[in-house]
Amino acid sequence: MFELATVKLSLPEDPRYLDMSYAEQGPLPEEMRNLDQLSEKDRKLALEFYQSLASDFRYNEYLRGCLNCGVCTSSCPAAKFYDFGPREMIQYMMRGEYDKIYEFTNEKVWACVQCYTCSMRCPFNNEIAGLIMLLREYAVKFGLESAKQILAPYRRILLTVLTTGNQVTPDMIQPETFADWGPQALEESKNMDVYRKAIPVDLMQRTDIGWHASLQTAVELMTIMIEAGVIESLKNIDKDLYDMIIDIYEERKQFLEEIKEKYQKGELNEEELPDSWLDL
Amino acid sequence: MESSVEQNPEREMERAFPNDLDWEEIYQRVIYKYSSPHGIQHIKELMYKLEDKGEIIVQHIKPSNNPVEYQTINGNPKKIPTTKLWNHKSCGQCGHIPGYPTSVFWIMNKLETDYVDEPHQTSCTGWNYHASGASNPVALAGVMVRNFWRAYEIDYYPLIHCGTSFGHYKEIRNMLILHDEVRQKLRPIMRKLDMDIVIPEEIVHYSEWLYVNSKRAASHKRYDLSEIKAAVHTPCHVYKLVPDDTIYDPIVYQGRRPAAPTGTVINFGAKPVDYSTWWDCCGFGFRHILTEREFTRSFALFKKVVPAVEEANADVFVTSDTGCVTTLDKSQWVGKAHGYNYNLPVLADAQFAALAMGADPYKIGQIHWHATDVEGFLRKIGVPIQEYKEQFIQYLQDIKEGKAETEFLYKPHRKIDFYLALPDRVQYERPQ
Ligand code: SF4
Ligand code: SF4
Repeated sequence: MFELATVKLSLPEDPRYLDMSYAEQGPLPEEMRNLDQLSEKDRKLALEFYQSLASDFRYNEYLRGCLNCGVCTSSCPAAKFYDFGPREMIQYMMRGEYDKIYEFTNEKVWACVQCYTCSMRCPFNNEIAGLIMLLREYAVKFGLESAKQILAPYRRILLTVLTTGNQVTPDMIQPETFADWGPQALEESKNMDVYRKAIPVDLMQRTDIGWHASLQTAVELMTIMIEAGVIESLKNIDKDLYDMIIDIYEERKQFLEEIKEKYQKGELNEEELPDSWLDL
Repeated sequence: MESSVEQNPEREMERAFPNDLDWEEIYQRVIYKYSSPHGIQHIKELMYKLEDKGEIIVQHIKPSNNPVEYQTINGNPKKIPTTKLWNHKSCGQCGHIPGYPTSVFWIMNKLETDYVDEPHQTSCTGWNYHASGASNPVALAGVMVRNFWRAYEIDYYPLIHCGTSFGHYKEIRNMLILHDEVRQKLRPIMRKLDMDIVIPEEIVHYSEWLYVNSKRAASHKRYDLSEIKAAVHTPCHVYKLVPDDTIYDPIVYQGRRPAAPTGTVINFGAKPVDYSTWWDCCGFGFRHILTEREFTRSFALFKKVVPAVEEANADVFVTSDTGCVTTLDKSQWVGKAHGYNYNLPVLADAQFAALAMGADPYKIGQIHWHATDVEGFLRKIGVPIQEYKEQFIQYLQDIKEGKAETEFLYKPHRKIDFYLALPDRVQYERPQ
């Protein structure tokens, strides 16, 4: 932590470095809360991180100017509950303070709830919520510690979304994990099978998936995720998950090709297909 | 130790604002994106130029979609197709609020709308992206275009169920149109799937569809809502993400708030009531609702439910997105631990409308998946809830024992449809 009295900053002459964020000008500013100085090793990584970020085609488009007015932070839901505020991030970006951007990414960026209120209100038209997504995307790409921690409890969900294209499953609402939703919300978990069976849409009758996508769709989705490099970027975060997804892909792809071939030759007997490929 | 910024500020300035970037080009892009009132207009002009050059396929809204025209916040026209619709599903709705999509289909059946609901789609994957950051522009665009392709090839117009999918697709559409480099990377991937880059002329949310049909739908109304005070939460991703691409109407707060879903509530004869945090987020947070609910519960309760009840005496909360229904509905019970026992019923606009039109609250509205007191609300408007409940319990029992079949809203798919996306599928997928 910073001690107000001992903070000594030597400011360059550039006027963009002079603003409310320095200790001399007031009480401990948010820029200094929870951010420590980086070690030499981290500084190098921070610079690399920033350079990749700043060379992304969206960065300069999303980052315009900043009045330092705080309109963004004043309406930010996350700022009401966390040590977090978008104004702070934009200020670091305006000044190219790569070390602070890096620290912000590790300590604070995951607090944002992606409501886009800041983006709509910013008088300078910064696409603030989009810049936050850029930081998160690059945190995953760089395999940063904060991304690993955040994604650890999220693993099952990642597997579901990357292999089926559905984010959540009906059967994930279980008393032990969702007790705070109350007894009424958990009622269905007891007899999930029959409650799902009673939904009047055939695609929505399973308990382990929101809707039953076709096999071809699942394979196509995974092809996109692989070709666009999403699966590859998981390697740094969770190697087991990466391996699992690739295995699933190979199996499904082969199965799909067999079915397609039979169909094209007119040899496919629909009756012989398993009731659901999800059960395989 | 001096940082490199301090050692060499000029070089760091260079890094922050590189000279080798084409700033003129970036500036033009930003103008297109933001300059009010022409933002979306410019995107559309560019879209048609790309179409003329054969760079993309645009799926047009046709007379067979029977479109109506409304205005966006900037007064620009937005066409809303009303029939021949391809329902683009929402993962969270289908997973945890099944009565949301079933209400949409039920209303469509009632209004004799032509639609398909098919298994050849994934979610937009936007929930995952905003939660985890584990994706990238090309992948997000690929997911969107793959889904749109399936609608395009059978000539049905995409209608997007989820608010996040809607906002997210508007953003990705803009990105695809503005950035050649994304198209260049995406094209070979789509070719691998025997598809091309297709973009619909308008990105349309079902809440817009419901609003433009709400007078017609309300003519089928069975219960009187004139005593009902409805607090409305307009979902952030519907109107804050690409703000100039959703419809407004002077009947809704003089056109100062989005037309949907408030306009639907008005056209159904209920009273929309105002509260000071109407503009605030619900607290969903994407990742927060799953793995950091301390925030979600507190925000939903104190920033939304408490003001809606204390300031506006609301009888019901009406909203129009997956995440908002889930958050507002599921975050109330836990407040009891601290003496906050509000139990304000939460419904999607489609459920609100379908229930008022006389849909079965359990078989169609699927209100038993809600945590708040929806039954109490229905009793208030005169729905014989006990009767429906007894019938439903019997129905569940019969299904369980194999004595009854599920009463489907449209003909179930063939087995092959769960495997392959066949060109002849549309003949089998239309409602009966
Ligand atoms: S609202 Fe915009 S201009 Fe104001 S502080 Fe935030 S980013 Fe800067
Ligand atoms: S998008 Fe994030 S930073 Fe912006 S207002 Fe919402 S929570 Fe705050």
